[in-house]
Amino acid sequence: MTVFKTFWQIIKRYKMMILLYTFLLLLFGGLNMKTNDTSLNFVDSKPDIMMIHEDEAIGITKSLIDYMSLHANVSIVSEMSEEIDDALFYRQFNYVIFIPKNYRSDVLNGLKPSITVKSTGDYQASLASMLLDRFLKTQEAFVDSKLSEQEILKAIDDALQDRTEVVVTSKLDMNELSQVTQYFNFASYTLMATIIFIICLVLSSFHEEKVKNRILVSKMSYRVHNRLILMASFGYMLFVFLLFLLFGFLLFGFSLLTWRGFFYFCNAFFFLFVSLTLAILISNLVQKKEAVSGIVNVIALGSAFLCGAFVPVEWLPSSVLKIAHVLPTYWYIQGNEFLKTAEKLQISELGPLAQNMFFLVLFGIGFLGLNLLLLRMKQKRNG
Amino acid sequence: MFWHNVKYSWKVLFHNRVLLFWTFLFPILLGTFFKMAFSDIEKKESLDIISVAVVRSSDYENNVVMKEALTQLSIEGENQLFDIIYSSEEEATQQLQDGDIEGYFKFVDDQVQIVVNQSGIDGTIMRFVIDEINGRKKIIESLVEQQIQDRIHEGNWDGIMEPIIEEVKNNVLQSKANIKDASSSNMSYTMIEYYTLIAMACLYSSMIAMFITNYKLANMKAVGKRIVVSPSHKISGLFGSFVASYLVGAIGLFLLFLYTIFVLKVDYGNRLWPVILIACIGLIAGQMLGLSVAALIKSNENTKTGVLVALSMFGSFLSGMMGITMKYVIDTNLPILNLVNPVAMITDGLYSLYYYESFSRYSFDLLSLILFSLLMIIVSFRGLRRQQYDSI
Amino acid sequence: MEKIVEVKNLTKEYKTLKAINDLSFEVKKGEILGLLGPNGSGKSTTINCLLSLLNFQHGSIKIWDKEMRPDAYDIKAKIGVIFQEVAVFEELNVYDNINYFCGLYITDKNLRQIYVEEAIDFVGLQDFKKFYPKQLSGGLLRRLNIACGIAHKPELIFFDEPTVAVDPQSRNSILDGIKRLREQGATIVYTTHYMEEVEILCDRIIILDKGRILAQGTCDQLKELTKIEEKITVEVSDFPQKLIDEIQTFSNVLQVRYENNHCVIIYKKGKNNLEEFIDYLKHHHIIYHKIFSERPTLNDVFLELTGKELRD
Repeated sequence: MTVFKTFWQIIKRYKMMILLYTFLLLLFGGLNMKTNDTSLNFVDSKPDIMMIHEDEAIGITKSLIDYMSLHANVSIVSEMSEEIDDALFYRQFNYVIFIPKNYRSDVLNGLKPSITVKSTGDYQASLASMLLDRFLKTQEAFVDSKLSEQEILKAIDDALQDRTEVVVTSKLDMNELSQVTQYFNFASYTLMATIIFIICLVLSSFHEEKVKNRILVSKMSYRVHNRLILMASFGYMLFVFLLFLLFGFLLFGFSLLTWRGFFYFCNAFFFLFVSLTLAILISNLVQKKEAVSGIVNVIALGSAFLCGAFVPVEWLPSSVLKIAHVLPTYWYIQGNEFLKTAEKLQISELGPLAQNMFFLVLFGIGFLGLNLLLLRMKQKRNG
Repeated sequence: MFWHNVKYSWKVLFHNRVLLFWTFLFPILLGTFFKMAFSDIEKKESLDIISVAVVRSSDYENNVVMKEALTQLSIEGENQLFDIIYSSEEEATQQLQDGDIEGYFKFVDDQVQIVVNQSGIDGTIMRFVIDEINGRKKIIESLVEQQIQDRIHEGNWDGIMEPIIEEVKNNVLQSKANIKDASSSNMSYTMIEYYTLIAMACLYSSMIAMFITNYKLANMKAVGKRIVVSPSHKISGLFGSFVASYLVGAIGLFLLFLYTIFVLKVDYGNRLWPVILIACIGLIAGQMLGLSVAALIKSNENTKTGVLVALSMFGSFLSGMMGITMKYVIDTNLPILNLVNPVAMITDGLYSLYYYESFSRYSFDLLSLILFSLLMIIVSFRGLRRQQYDSI
Repeated sequence: MEKIVEVKNLTKEYKTLKAINDLSFEVKKGEILGLLGPNGSGKSTTINCLLSLLNFQHGSIKIWDKEMRPDAYDIKAKIGVIFQEVAVFEELNVYDNINYFCGLYITDKNLRQIYVEEAIDFVGLQDFKKFYPKQLSGGLLRRLNIACGIAHKPELIFFDEPTVAVDPQSRNSILDGIKRLREQGATIVYTTHYMEEVEILCDRIIILDKGRILAQGTCDQLKELTKIEEKITVEVSDFPQKLIDEIQTFSNVLQVRYENNHCVIIYKKGKNNLEEFIDYLKHHHIIYHKIFSERPTLNDVFLELTGKELRD
């Protein structure tokens, strides 16, 4: 019992660290909780467009604004400013459209006035540019003919009206699932960091030469003592897991009380186990306490960046993902990604998930094996 | 005496491996992670060629306009939009489920139906393309009709439609929208990540300053007592250790610049000297923060390090290191925070050099950094120059 | 003799506690002055006030006839301090540590080199020049601490409990060193709570308690303060009460105690007490195992002055 007590007493000294990582987890989990309409019907993606017009919003000008507003989220101002440039850079808008003064009359007089745009160059901006291009070409086609403005507007309207039917096949609520997945993916960083950090610090306290010798001369056999420490570490891991479980339910409510939620947590549990074994290995490799926080940051941050905890997996370069195969975090995140998109969760369909979990277990066993090897080598050197 | 202090402060700092790790190695490692994680984001964000399937059917074969347009859009080159495979409906469904395609087109009579897995931009673009082709058809029809009416009206209608259709079609297809693209070529927002990295490195060097200053304060370390009872002037000693810690920080920063420029290919815009200037001033700000934490917080070194790391990390978070949007959110909603956050000042200065032509915003950031440094010196001056204490 | 340090009515208060209460004393050239007192008696506080590290409410401190102030650099230049805690850079090796601190006093590089080597020889760290503090044992670390304080050949040296938690061998070498420093002409102020050290080392002793001077003088002078002349202890298995009562009535005996087979007789005066007592025992056919005589210690002085032991 004393071993457990001491273990917890040392852990208590690091409660600020645990609080910090918990806070981070909640912060990032919470930040991603933007609620969008969820619908199983097809919803167009709408680029965010800023329109600046110095012309009066009537006639052709109004028609242009109306068309863009129908297919995009349009904000309208009357003056260009630095704020707009900033907003564009930070992707608050994908596209800025600048309608010059006298645009309407110039168009009707056949002067072909130009429209200035600024683009972020991303996917949404391309869509915005296609929309603008379509409207301008349509307008161009009718302006040359000898129609009145009224007739031109009607003709443009007619030509732009068609809506093709789109059928959506997936029955999954992608919005919520991506949030849940993001929460679990990000957790790979906080879970790994807390586990390695705390376990390493606590175990290195036990490993310190003087303390170690004291334990060696005590009544308790060193092996029993070691086993107790491992059990205490496992207890700490369970504690972290329960905390994580609690926050999951706090953030997502009962939607995690499903088989899918169960598998998410299962996956997380395996990942925690791997982190624990890694922590034990590191604690035997690293003797200096001061070095622990550096190592934790490099391992946990590195894994998180390379495996897709911070940046969505689909945006990572394939070469990086290849390297990431050697990191346990990769398999954990792949498991989460599988759960995000799997339509049905029947046993026969769970192959990929089982494979990911299998790799996690393999990593755990590998780390433990390395640890054993290391201890053997140390014993040989000492004895 | 001054150089004696510089020399030995330098020696002390270079013997502390943990400090060296945080100032030299950590930013470089973090930068490498950034590079690996973000290098494709912007590429993948831009419009890619969309993999689609077309369900083979007689209706598709008969729909000449659609067939031609879709074929046009799948020709390799600048205007390619689709990568088309032709399949049966079952195959297409399976391909969609496996994620091989983003969606498929199904032709029923003269109508097109689009099937996708979920709502999204790919589906939107597929719909847009079909809509546009239909719309163009309509335009041509209505223009042709109008031309014929005009000719009938003018009395020279010869009943032959083909040349009119051909002419209208050519006009419509070849018309170009008069769009002037004024986009900045410096739109790469992942650069912000690297700017926060430079800023973070500046702030992390506060640890060096704190560490070496601690040694000079009699109420913090025993060595400090020895120094205070010696005949060496306190301010000169402090200045000597500051010079040493600044040099160490500057070397770290220099290495980071070299690494980001030559290995990570970070773009600092085309004005290198202002970039270096703001980094150097930023380094002063970081070191002054370290100095004041050393002088004002009476606690052990670990706590002080903790405070500095927490401040630097939180500052970096607010300036967009963990998500670039954060910087914008603060800039627009809580700009006052930027006036006390040196990380934001450095990041914003680098950003404005990269994105804007004018120096006004950069100068403001530079001035803020200088004011911040002065403020730090003022609040900690008493604690720093002090030689006599109420209690030790 | 020339006065080096002159302290007058020094008083230092922390909120409610008077750490030093109206302290006045002098340190004369070439002497070793011991400040003796239990933990918390104000020894370190006194030293820190003398060094202008601590401010104080009342009194004056003059060193070499000049007022001691934080910016009295000419005075500081001639002072050396060995602090209670080891004050060295973890990141510098033995040589660099001494060289750094010496450099705060001696700007001439060549001279400094000689001084540093001499200091290393003086404390016997020749074989450890390139060692870092972490690699040194406790005793060697203390010696490094001393070398850092004396390398610049100060004329006035403060030792603040330099032997706390040091093995007997290192302690002896430290005490020898201090004697040698005095022989070289330095004036030394030495604080400790070990009375044995003060007895063998110091020319003059000030006994402090609760921030006050209880007594000062040479060792012998202090011992004269006590009424005790001699203490005889005899180990005897059976000592009749009748004899105890009888001894009590002798004119030169202050007190007799008998407990745990030990009889302790405390004499006020008399030159041949032991001889007479042995005769007395023979006369009464008392068989004893062991008998010894002690002169009074500073602890006895302290005990008499305060009613408590110095070692508490």
